[in-house]
Amino acid sequence: MSKSKEVTVGDSLAVKKTARLSPLGFFMALPPVLVILFFIGGPILLAFSFTLGFTTGPNEIVALIGQEIYTKTNWWGTLEAYKSVFSDSRFPGNLKATLEITFVATTLVIVLALGMAIYQRIIGGRLATILVALSLVPLFVPVVISAFAIRTFYDGTGFFKTIFYHFGLTFPTLTMTNNAVTIGVIWTSLPFAILMISSGLQSVPDALIETAQDAGAGFMRIIATVMIPLAFVPIVIATTFTAIGIMGSFTIPYFLGANQPTMLGVEISNFFGPYNRPQHSIVMAFVIFVAASGIGFFYIWANVRSAKQSGRI
Amino acid sequence: MSHSANKLNIQTNSWLVRIFLSAFIGFMGLFILGPLFWLAIRAFVTEWTFPNLLPDGLTMRWWRVIADDGSLLEAIKNSLIISPIVVLISAAICLPAAYAFSRYEFLGRKTFLIGIFAANAFPKIGLFASIATLFYTLNLMGTILGIIIIQVLGTVIFMTWIPAAAFSAVPRNLEDAARDAGASKLRVFWDITLRLAMPGILVALVMSFLAAFDEAQGTYLVGVPTIYTMPTKMYALVLNYPVQISAVFSLLLAIPSVILISLARKQIIGGQLAEGFQIK
Amino acid sequence: MSIAKDSVGLELIGLNKILGGRTIIENLDLSVKKGEMVSLLGPSGCGKTTTLRMIAGFLIPEAGKVILAGKDVTTLGPDKRPSAMVFQNYALWPHMTVFKNIAYPLKIRKLAKSEIEKRVHDALGLVNLMHHKDSRPSQISGGEQQRVALARALVQEPDILLLDEPLSNLDAKLRVKVREDIRDLQRRLGITTVIVTHDQDEALSISDRIAVMNDGRIEQFSTPQALYDEPATEYVANFIGSLNRFTGNFAEGRIQTGDNVVGIRPEDVLFSSHQVPGSHAATVDLVVPRGHFFEVYLSSNDQKIRAFMSADIPQVGDAGFVRISKALIYKDGKLVKVA
Repeated sequence: MSKSKEVTVGDSLAVKKTARLSPLGFFMALPPVLVILFFIGGPILLAFSFTLGFTTGPNEIVALIGQEIYTKTNWWGTLEAYKSVFSDSRFPGNLKATLEITFVATTLVIVLALGMAIYQRIIGGRLATILVALSLVPLFVPVVISAFAIRTFYDGTGFFKTIFYHFGLTFPTLTMTNNAVTIGVIWTSLPFAILMISSGLQSVPDALIETAQDAGAGFMRIIATVMIPLAFVPIVIATTFTAIGIMGSFTIPYFLGANQPTMLGVEISNFFGPYNRPQHSIVMAFVIFVAASGIGFFYIWANVRSAKQSGRI
Repeated sequence: MSHSANKLNIQTNSWLVRIFLSAFIGFMGLFILGPLFWLAIRAFVTEWTFPNLLPDGLTMRWWRVIADDGSLLEAIKNSLIISPIVVLISAAICLPAAYAFSRYEFLGRKTFLIGIFAANAFPKIGLFASIATLFYTLNLMGTILGIIIIQVLGTVIFMTWIPAAAFSAVPRNLEDAARDAGASKLRVFWDITLRLAMPGILVALVMSFLAAFDEAQGTYLVGVPTIYTMPTKMYALVLNYPVQISAVFSLLLAIPSVILISLARKQIIGGQLAEGFQIK
Repeated sequence: MSIAKDSVGLELIGLNKILGGRTIIENLDLSVKKGEMVSLLGPSGCGKTTTLRMIAGFLIPEAGKVILAGKDVTTLGPDKRPSAMVFQNYALWPHMTVFKNIAYPLKIRKLAKSEIEKRVHDALGLVNLMHHKDSRPSQISGGEQQRVALARALVQEPDILLLDEPLSNLDAKLRVKVREDIRDLQRRLGITTVIVTHDQDEALSISDRIAVMNDGRIEQFSTPQALYDEPATEYVANFIGSLNRFTGNFAEGRIQTGDNVVGIRPEDVLFSSHQVPGSHAATVDLVVPRGHFFEVYLSSNDQKIRAFMSADIPQVGDAGFVRISKALIYKDGKLVKVA
């Protein structure tokens, strides 16, 4: 009996499941993986060894150019570079600013995206279409331009400043504060989140929503118990990619942010370039990487969970 | 099963919601479009003295400045040459892989997929700082090849994931039917699979082009001061030129994005992009 | 039963297929005559689609041979076989018009443009779809899509036509019409046809012969009539038509204790108010109208039995006499006697 069940699913699936491991597939998939291994994985490993004080071999040139380089004292290296970064009085402030902006902006982006996507899914209509179309505009604009435009819009001679002036009011200058950075990253992150979440909600069948309605569930309850759980994976993907993107962002805080505290993305660049402390710079990159990996784990977990639920694993 | 007809009969208390919604749309309009218009206007004005509501005068002078400035034209030329090359290389490297991810089971498939994702989780700016080390060693600093490599890295995720999802979405029986009709495997791939996956591949091409075209951080690190592209020139402009020049340049820089995304708008909104970001 | 070689359309010899570590098809033989229409009938999972896909070339058997029109095609790919298939979901290419869908196989064969045009038009005429030739598959109804799929298969002038559950996506009314159309076309063109179905009505009404499959084997391969009248195994008897099933022996017109299996078709159960030789007293428990006949539930000597009647319908509670006109007796699942 169990035998017949297996075949019921359809032969094509059975074929796929039983397909032998394909060497051809492996070799076809190899090129991008090699590119990533060589140009991302390799440098990251090298950089990691560099933070631990391995200053010879491929790290030699950077070590020569840079200042305040710590060289390994044990066979496994040294933690001096990390200590130096963590004990820098500006670092906690920068880290806090980075995490704060990431958290606040991600939350706002997801809430906005969810709100608009749910509105579009349930009620629809012209207003919803306008709203979503509007939110996708940033997708059309290169980040450098966005950063520059937002900078001009909120600066000392910006739009709100001008308007408020004529009413005898003073609008705060946002440019060069971390509020402007938050505005900037929300602006640039919105389209991706909207696309992910609205496509997730679109794939929730009408029948399921109608059944819940039929069972007497109200608007909020339908959202909380039907729509969000069924679009869970796209929502998680939107959240993680938004958070990771914001945490490592450079252009927006570079154009819009305060000098101190600033996001680590800018600080990495400062330490690598102007301050000429490459080791410190890379230590900070690893701090972001660790935080991003935590978020990334959440992403992978959600994908695996959905794969299990739909029986793909 | 009609997902498109998404009008469900859920009543909302009319006018309050409408007022709130209109206000919200107004707010979003200002929030999203405001900065863009505020900047765009500047490409056509002589000066704009604060706190006047109108600019001092209109002019096309700044456009001529750009046209006459060799270094700015050079940056435009570089961008228009480098980005398409990046997209072609990326496609050549990634599209076969996307097909493999979609259609074959092989050792390390999941690891590869997650690896491509993890590579994206490392902060770009930190990565570029790390890559610089390697590039010094390989003599790639300040070369076109170095810039191409940097930009290809940013496109891999789009060029692998989105087409992979698109290939997976092609029903197997459509391929079987073509085989049955007498087509060879290669012919089936060409006539059916590729054809039906095209919208997804198109989205991947557009997103990759934009990722390459807009890439500034790594290109700046590797290329400056020998080679400028449009976005890296922007960095320099913002610091050294009047805001009007930056505005003109911004408009120029936005043209390819607007054209390309408008072309692929239906597919992007249609879920091709979103589909690609789920590991299967 | 040996058939002259040139009149064989399809021959399967000792087919074995293993999928996912399970044996799906075991030592399967089948011989289809030229121009014959044969159904592979069975529940989902019995291996009928797997068999069809081996005939079409999508699966290569682990052992055995597939011989199409006298040619051994066992290891050939689907593109190299003289077979054409109609898929369950029709598998029409959404990016091509109806015309292009049908023309595709001919384009592959590099026929001249005028020849393609002519043959596609003929095929369209055959399935009555001339007016839809420039439509996209998504713009036409399910029944029309089905006909396009059929035309696409026929235009190849295949030696054998394979149909995989061709009617399962159509509504009940349309299904009857389309299956008659298919049968009609098949007869007119004299094309050897294998059709996979789980619907016994469909199989019984259009096939020359039916192969009833179970668990990767063919239980019985014979004409619809023979299949119904003398099901070779208990499985077939249960699967085709309705059956009253008892454990025991059949003697003196009734069920006696014993260890065989007795199967009685409801239409072979006769109920009347008069006693005749071989009949036994019975009462009516329930009468269910079934359209053109009635299903009557009877009790006789503590045994429940169903009868199909179309005239002189009794009322619940009526007493009368029941007579069994025919019984099938099975031992170890095999037919041993028809009483």
